[in-house]
Amino acid sequence: MIFIKLLLITILTIIFLLITLSSRFRTYQRLFIIFGYGLLTFFILFPSIADKVAEIFGIERGSDLVVYIAIAILALLSVVLYAQVKIHERAITKIVRDIAIMKSRKCE
Amino acid sequence: MSDVAIVIPLYNEEKVIRQTLEELRQKRPDDVIIVVDDGSKDNSYFEACIPGVYLLRHIVNLGQGAALQTGIDYAKKLGCKYVVTFDSDGQHCADDIEGFIEVLRKDEADIVLCSRFLGKAENIPTLKKYFLRIAAIVERFLTGIKLTDVHNGFRAINVAKFPDFVITQNRMSHASEIIDLIKRLDMRYVEKPCTIRYSNYSLAKGQSMMNSINIIIEFILGKAIK
Repeated sequence: MIFIKLLLITILTIIFLLITLSSRFRTYQRLFIIFGYGLLTFFILFPSIADKVAEIFGIERGSDLVVYIAIAILALLSVVLYAQVKIHERAITKIVRDIAIMKSRKCE
Repeated sequence: MSDVAIVIPLYNEEKVIRQTLEELRQKRPDDVIIVVDDGSKDNSYFEACIPGVYLLRHIVNLGQGAALQTGIDYAKKLGCKYVVTFDSDGQHCADDIEGFIEVLRKDEADIVLCSRFLGKAENIPTLKKYFLRIAAIVERFLTGIKLTDVHNGFRAINVAKFPDFVITQNRMSHASEIIDLIKRLDMRYVEKPCTIRYSNYSLAKGQSMMNSINIIIEFILGKAIK
Protein backbone atom coordinates (compact mmCIF):
# COMPACT_ATOMS: atom_id res chain seq x y z
CA MET A 1 0.00 0.00 0.00
CA ILE A 2 2.72 2.40 1.05
CA PHE A 3 4.64 1.70 -2.12
CA ILE A 4 1.64 2.38 -4.36
CA LYS A 5 0.90 5.58 -2.45
CA LEU A 6 4.47 6.78 -2.82
CA LEU A 7 4.48 5.92 -6.52
CA LEU A 8 1.22 7.78 -7.13
CA ILE A 9 2.36 10.84 -5.23
CA THR A 10 5.71 10.84 -7.05
CA ILE A 11 4.00 10.68 -10.47
CA LEU A 12 1.55 13.38 -9.43
CA THR A 13 4.36 15.62 -8.16
CA ILE A 14 6.37 15.18 -11.36
CA ILE A 15 3.34 16.07 -13.49
CA PHE A 16 2.56 19.02 -11.20
CA LEU A 17 6.13 20.35 -11.42
CA LEU A 18 6.29 19.86 -15.18
CA ILE A 19 3.06 21.76 -15.68
CA THR A 20 3.80 24.64 -13.34
CA LEU A 21 7.43 25.09 -14.32
CA SER A 22 7.11 24.74 -18.07
CA SER A 23 4.05 26.89 -18.74
CA ARG A 24 3.05 30.38 -17.90
CA PHE A 25 -0.28 30.34 -16.14
CA ARG A 26 -2.46 33.04 -14.71
CA THR A 27 -2.72 33.20 -10.92
CA TYR A 28 -6.20 31.69 -10.76
CA GLN A 29 -5.11 28.84 -13.02
CA ARG A 30 -2.08 28.22 -10.84
CA LEU A 31 -4.25 28.24 -7.71
CA PHE A 32 -6.59 25.75 -9.35
CA ILE A 33 -3.72 23.43 -10.23
CA ILE A 34 -2.28 23.67 -6.71
CA PHE A 35 -5.73 22.96 -5.27
CA GLY A 36 -6.16 19.92 -7.50
CA TYR A 37 -2.70 18.63 -6.66
CA GLY A 38 -3.28 19.14 -2.94
CA LEU A 39 -6.66 17.45 -3.03
CA LEU A 40 -5.45 14.41 -4.95
CA THR A 41 -2.38 14.00 -2.70
CA PHE A 42 -4.58 14.28 0.38
CA PHE A 43 -6.96 11.63 -0.91
CA ILE A 44 -4.10 9.30 -1.79
CA LEU A 45 -2.67 9.67 1.71
CA PHE A 46 -6.01 9.33 3.51
CA PRO A 47 -8.25 7.08 1.44
CA SER A 48 -10.71 6.66 4.30
CA ILE A 49 -11.52 10.38 4.21
CA ALA A 50 -11.85 10.11 0.45
CA ASP A 51 -14.41 7.35 0.99
CA LYS A 52 -16.46 9.61 3.25
CA VAL A 53 -16.31 12.54 0.85
CA ALA A 54 -17.23 10.21 -2.00
CA GLU A 55 -20.26 9.06 -0.07
CA ILE A 56 -21.51 12.65 0.17
CA PHE A 57 -21.41 12.85 -3.63
CA GLY A 58 -23.12 9.49 -3.97
CA ILE A 59 -19.99 7.72 -5.22
CA GLU A 60 -19.23 4.35 -3.69
CA ARG A 61 -15.45 4.43 -3.27
CA GLY A 62 -12.99 7.20 -2.57
CA SER A 63 -10.64 5.92 -5.25
CA ASP A 64 -13.42 6.39 -7.83
CA LEU A 65 -13.79 9.97 -6.66
CA VAL A 66 -10.03 10.51 -7.14
CA VAL A 67 -10.26 9.19 -10.70
CA TYR A 68 -13.25 11.42 -11.49
CA ILE A 69 -11.53 14.50 -10.12
CA ALA A 70 -8.33 13.64 -12.01
CA ILE A 71 -10.23 13.29 -15.30
CA ALA A 72 -12.03 16.58 -14.71
CA ILE A 73 -8.75 18.38 -13.96
CA LEU A 74 -7.01 16.89 -17.00
CA ALA A 75 -9.89 17.82 -19.27
CA LEU A 76 -9.90 21.36 -17.98
CA LEU A 77 -6.15 21.58 -18.32
CA SER A 78 -6.24 20.49 -21.94
CA VAL A 79 -8.80 23.19 -22.70
CA VAL A 80 -6.62 25.81 -21.00
CA LEU A 81 -3.57 24.58 -22.94
CA TYR A 82 -5.50 24.63 -26.22
CA ALA A 83 -6.55 28.21 -25.55
CA GLN A 84 -2.93 29.15 -24.85
CA VAL A 85 -1.76 27.52 -28.07
CA LYS A 86 -4.36 29.60 -29.89
CA ILE A 87 -3.14 32.79 -28.21
CA HIS A 88 0.44 32.02 -29.24
CA GLU A 89 -0.67 31.16 -32.76
CA ARG A 90 -2.36 34.53 -33.02
CA ALA A 91 0.80 36.30 -31.88
CA ILE A 92 2.94 34.39 -34.39
CA THR A 93 0.45 35.15 -37.15
CA LYS A 94 0.67 38.86 -36.41
CA ILE A 95 4.47 38.82 -36.42
CA VAL A 96 4.71 36.79 -39.65
CA ARG A 97 2.06 38.97 -41.33
CA ASP A 98 3.78 42.21 -40.35
CA ILE A 99 7.13 40.94 -41.65
CA ALA A 100 5.46 39.84 -44.92
CA ILE A 101 3.93 43.29 -45.42
CA MET A 102 7.12 45.09 -44.43
CA LYS A 103 9.21 43.07 -46.88
CA SER A 104 6.65 43.15 -49.70
CA ARG A 105 7.97 43.97 -53.13
CA LYS A 106 6.71 44.69 -56.60
CA CYS A 107 8.34 42.47 -59.19
CA GLU A 108 9.87 44.31 -62.12
CA MET B 1 -4.32 51.91 -60.24
CA SER B 2 -7.43 49.75 -60.26
CA ASP B 3 -9.48 49.43 -57.09
CA VAL B 4 -9.60 45.66 -57.55
CA ALA B 5 -6.99 43.46 -55.91
CA ILE B 6 -6.65 39.80 -56.77
CA VAL B 7 -5.24 37.98 -53.75
CA ILE B 8 -3.60 34.64 -54.40
CA PRO B 9 -2.44 32.48 -51.50
CA LEU B 10 0.47 30.35 -52.65
CA TYR B 11 1.88 27.19 -51.14
CA ASN B 12 4.13 24.75 -52.98
CA GLU B 13 2.79 25.37 -56.47
CA GLU B 14 6.03 25.99 -58.38
CA LYS B 15 4.80 24.07 -61.43
CA VAL B 16 1.65 26.05 -62.12
CA ILE B 17 1.92 29.46 -60.43
CA ARG B 18 3.70 31.16 -63.33
CA GLN B 19 1.08 30.01 -65.81
CA THR B 20 -1.77 31.07 -63.51
CA LEU B 21 -0.25 34.51 -62.99
CA GLU B 22 0.59 35.06 -66.65
CA GLU B 23 -2.98 34.30 -67.62
CA LEU B 24 -4.27 36.67 -64.94
CA ARG B 25 -1.84 39.41 -65.93
CA GLN B 26 -2.93 39.09 -69.53
CA LYS B 27 -6.67 39.07 -68.86
CA ARG B 28 -6.70 41.55 -65.96
CA PRO B 29 -3.88 43.96 -66.82
CA ASP B 30 -5.21 46.82 -64.68
CA ASP B 31 -5.91 44.92 -61.47
CA VAL B 32 -3.53 44.75 -58.56
CA ILE B 33 -2.24 41.20 -58.19
CA ILE B 34 -1.06 40.24 -54.73
CA VAL B 35 0.61 36.89 -54.22
CA VAL B 36 1.16 35.74 -50.65
CA ASP B 37 3.63 32.89 -50.48
CA ASP B 38 2.78 30.95 -47.34
CA GLY B 39 6.26 29.70 -46.55
CA SER B 40 6.52 27.38 -49.56
CA LYS B 41 9.25 24.78 -49.37
CA ASP B 42 9.76 24.68 -53.14
CA ASN B 43 10.63 27.39 -55.64
CA SER B 44 7.14 28.94 -55.70
CA TYR B 45 8.23 32.32 -54.32
CA PHE B 46 10.69 32.92 -57.15
CA GLU B 47 8.42 31.45 -59.80
CA ALA B 48 5.70 33.91 -58.76
CA CYS B 49 7.87 36.93 -59.49
CA ILE B 50 6.24 38.21 -62.65
CA PRO B 51 6.45 41.91 -63.63
CA GLY B 52 3.73 43.94 -61.95
CA VAL B 53 2.91 41.38 -59.27
CA TYR B 54 3.10 42.35 -55.60
CA LEU B 55 4.89 39.56 -53.81
CA LEU B 56 4.66 38.88 -50.08
CA ARG B 57 6.09 36.03 -48.12
CA HIS B 58 5.23 34.40 -44.81
CA ILE B 59 8.51 33.30 -43.28
CA VAL B 60 6.78 30.26 -41.81
CA ASN B 61 3.77 28.34 -43.07
CA LEU B 62 0.61 29.57 -41.36
CA GLY B 63 -2.16 28.25 -43.59
CA GLN B 64 -4.37 29.47 -46.39
CA GLY B 65 -6.65 31.53 -44.15
CA ALA B 66 -3.70 33.50 -42.80
CA ALA B 67 -2.29 34.04 -46.30
CA LEU B 68 -5.64 35.40 -47.49
CA GLN B 69 -5.87 37.82 -44.58
CA THR B 70 -2.32 39.05 -45.19
CA GLY B 71 -3.31 39.70 -48.81
CA ILE B 72 -6.49 41.49 -47.76
CA ASP B 73 -4.54 43.67 -45.31
CA TYR B 74 -2.07 44.57 -48.04
CA ALA B 75 -4.83 45.28 -50.55
CA LYS B 76 -6.40 47.71 -48.10
CA LYS B 77 -3.01 49.33 -47.58
CA LEU B 78 -2.77 49.87 -51.33
CA GLY B 79 -6.20 51.48 -51.25
CA CYS B 80 -8.13 48.75 -53.07
CA LYS B 81 -11.88 48.59 -52.47
CA TYR B 82 -12.58 45.13 -53.78
CA VAL B 83 -10.68 41.92 -53.15
CA VAL B 84 -10.95 38.83 -55.29
CA THR B 85 -9.56 35.64 -53.77
CA PHE B 86 -8.19 33.29 -56.36
CA ASP B 87 -6.51 29.88 -56.19
CA SER B 88 -2.92 29.50 -57.31
CA ASP B 89 -3.29 26.10 -58.94
CA GLY B 90 -5.05 27.34 -62.05
CA GLN B 91 -8.46 25.83 -61.36
CA HIS B 92 -10.26 29.19 -61.54
CA CYS B 93 -10.86 31.22 -64.70
CA ALA B 94 -9.75 34.83 -64.93
CA ASP B 95 -12.68 35.47 -67.29
CA ASP B 96 -15.12 35.00 -64.41
CA ILE B 97 -13.68 37.87 -62.35
CA GLU B 98 -15.37 40.67 -64.28
CA GLY B 99 -18.87 39.34 -63.57
CA PHE B 100 -18.09 39.10 -59.86
CA ILE B 101 -16.72 42.64 -59.64
CA GLU B 102 -19.68 43.93 -61.64
CA VAL B 103 -22.06 42.77 -58.87
CA LEU B 104 -20.00 44.59 -56.22
CA ARG B 105 -19.73 47.78 -58.29
CA LYS B 106 -23.48 47.88 -58.82
CA ASP B 107 -23.81 47.39 -55.06
CA GLU B 108 -26.09 44.42 -55.52
CA ALA B 109 -24.14 42.43 -52.92
CA ASP B 110 -21.22 42.81 -50.51
CA ILE B 111 -19.68 39.45 -51.22
CA VAL B 112 -19.90 37.24 -54.30
CA LEU B 113 -19.11 33.57 -53.96
CA CYS B 114 -18.34 31.17 -56.73
CA SER B 115 -20.34 27.98 -56.97
CA ARG B 116 -19.06 25.16 -59.09
CA PHE B 117 -22.52 23.60 -58.98
CA LEU B 118 -24.20 26.57 -60.62
CA GLY B 119 -21.52 26.79 -63.26
CA LYS B 120 -19.43 24.51 -65.31
CA ALA B 121 -17.26 22.20 -63.30
CA GLU B 122 -15.00 20.28 -65.59
CA ASN B 123 -14.21 16.70 -64.56
CA ILE B 124 -15.55 17.00 -61.03
CA PRO B 125 -15.17 13.60 -59.35
CA THR B 126 -18.54 12.14 -58.29
CA LEU B 127 -17.46 11.42 -54.72
CA LYS B 128 -16.15 14.95 -54.29
CA LYS B 129 -19.37 16.36 -55.71
CA TYR B 130 -21.54 14.62 -53.13
CA PHE B 131 -19.11 15.39 -50.37
CA LEU B 132 -19.22 19.12 -51.14
CA ARG B 133 -23.02 19.00 -51.22
CA ILE B 134 -23.04 17.47 -47.74
CA ALA B 135 -20.56 20.12 -46.57
CA ALA B 136 -22.97 22.80 -47.80
CA ILE B 137 -25.81 21.26 -45.81
CA VAL B 138 -23.67 21.06 -42.65
CA GLU B 139 -22.69 24.69 -43.13
CA ARG B 140 -26.31 25.72 -43.58
CA PHE B 141 -27.14 23.95 -40.35
CA LEU B 142 -24.26 25.66 -38.48
CA THR B 143 -24.69 29.19 -39.81
CA GLY B 144 -28.08 29.42 -41.49
CA ILE B 145 -26.53 30.78 -44.69
CA LYS B 146 -27.84 29.05 -47.80
CA LEU B 147 -25.06 28.25 -50.24
CA THR B 148 -24.57 25.50 -52.77
CA ASP B 149 -20.77 25.44 -52.59
CA VAL B 150 -19.00 26.34 -49.37
CA HIS B 151 -15.38 25.45 -49.90
CA ASN B 152 -14.56 27.34 -53.02
CA GLY B 153 -11.55 29.65 -53.04
CA PHE B 154 -13.00 32.07 -55.58
CA ARG B 155 -14.78 35.04 -54.01
CA ALA B 156 -15.11 38.79 -54.46
CA ILE B 157 -15.45 40.90 -51.34
CA ASN B 158 -16.16 44.58 -50.79
CA VAL B 159 -13.48 45.10 -48.14
CA ALA B 160 -13.76 48.89 -48.06
CA LYS B 161 -17.32 48.64 -46.77
CA PHE B 162 -16.47 46.00 -44.15
CA PRO B 163 -13.35 46.87 -42.18
CA ASP B 164 -14.32 44.17 -39.67
CA PHE B 165 -14.06 41.45 -42.29
CA VAL B 166 -11.02 39.76 -40.76
CA ILE B 167 -10.16 36.07 -41.11
CA THR B 168 -8.74 34.68 -37.87
CA GLN B 169 -8.80 30.97 -38.70
CA ASN B 170 -5.37 30.37 -40.14
CA ARG B 171 -5.93 27.04 -41.78
CA MET B 172 -8.61 25.60 -44.04
CA SER B 173 -11.52 26.30 -41.73
CA HIS B 174 -11.34 29.94 -42.86
CA ALA B 175 -13.90 29.03 -45.56
CA SER B 176 -16.43 28.27 -42.84
CA GLU B 177 -15.34 31.38 -40.97
CA ILE B 178 -16.07 33.53 -44.02
CA ILE B 179 -19.62 32.20 -44.07
CA ASP B 180 -19.83 32.93 -40.37
CA LEU B 181 -18.59 36.48 -41.05
CA ILE B 182 -21.28 36.96 -43.71
CA LYS B 183 -23.86 36.21 -41.07
CA ARG B 184 -22.24 38.20 -38.27
CA LEU B 185 -21.55 41.33 -40.33
CA ASP B 186 -24.93 41.04 -42.03
CA MET B 187 -23.36 41.08 -45.49
CA ARG B 188 -25.49 40.74 -48.58
CA TYR B 189 -24.25 37.68 -50.42
CA VAL B 190 -24.84 36.20 -53.80
CA GLU B 191 -23.63 33.03 -55.47
CA LYS B 192 -22.54 33.13 -59.07
CA PRO B 193 -21.62 30.33 -61.39
CA CYS B 194 -17.98 29.93 -62.28
CA THR B 195 -15.89 27.48 -64.16
CA ILE B 196 -13.61 25.15 -62.25
CA ARG B 197 -11.01 23.29 -64.20
CA TYR B 198 -10.19 20.03 -62.51
CA SER B 199 -6.90 19.07 -64.05
CA ASN B 200 -5.01 15.98 -63.00
CA TYR B 201 -2.63 18.33 -61.23
CA SER B 202 -5.26 20.08 -59.09
CA LEU B 203 -6.96 16.79 -58.29
CA ALA B 204 -3.75 15.30 -57.01
CA LYS B 205 -2.98 18.38 -54.93
CA GLY B 206 -6.46 19.25 -53.67
CA GLN B 207 -8.01 18.82 -50.25
CA SER B 208 -8.30 15.26 -49.12
CA MET B 209 -11.84 14.60 -48.09
CA MET B 210 -10.82 13.17 -44.74
CA ASN B 211 -9.37 16.57 -43.98
CA SER B 212 -12.86 18.03 -44.00
CA ILE B 213 -13.53 16.36 -40.67
CA ASN B 214 -10.55 18.26 -39.26
CA ILE B 215 -11.96 21.42 -40.78
CA ILE B 216 -15.28 21.00 -39.01
CA ILE B 217 -13.59 20.30 -35.66
CA GLU B 218 -11.26 23.27 -36.14
CA PHE B 219 -14.19 25.52 -36.98
CA ILE B 220 -16.24 24.50 -33.94
CA LEU B 221 -13.25 24.79 -31.57
CA GLY B 222 -12.36 28.11 -33.14
CA LYS B 223 -15.85 29.38 -32.44
CA ALA B 224 -15.69 28.15 -28.87
CA ILE B 225 -12.30 29.71 -28.11
CA LYS B 226 -12.11 33.23 -29.43
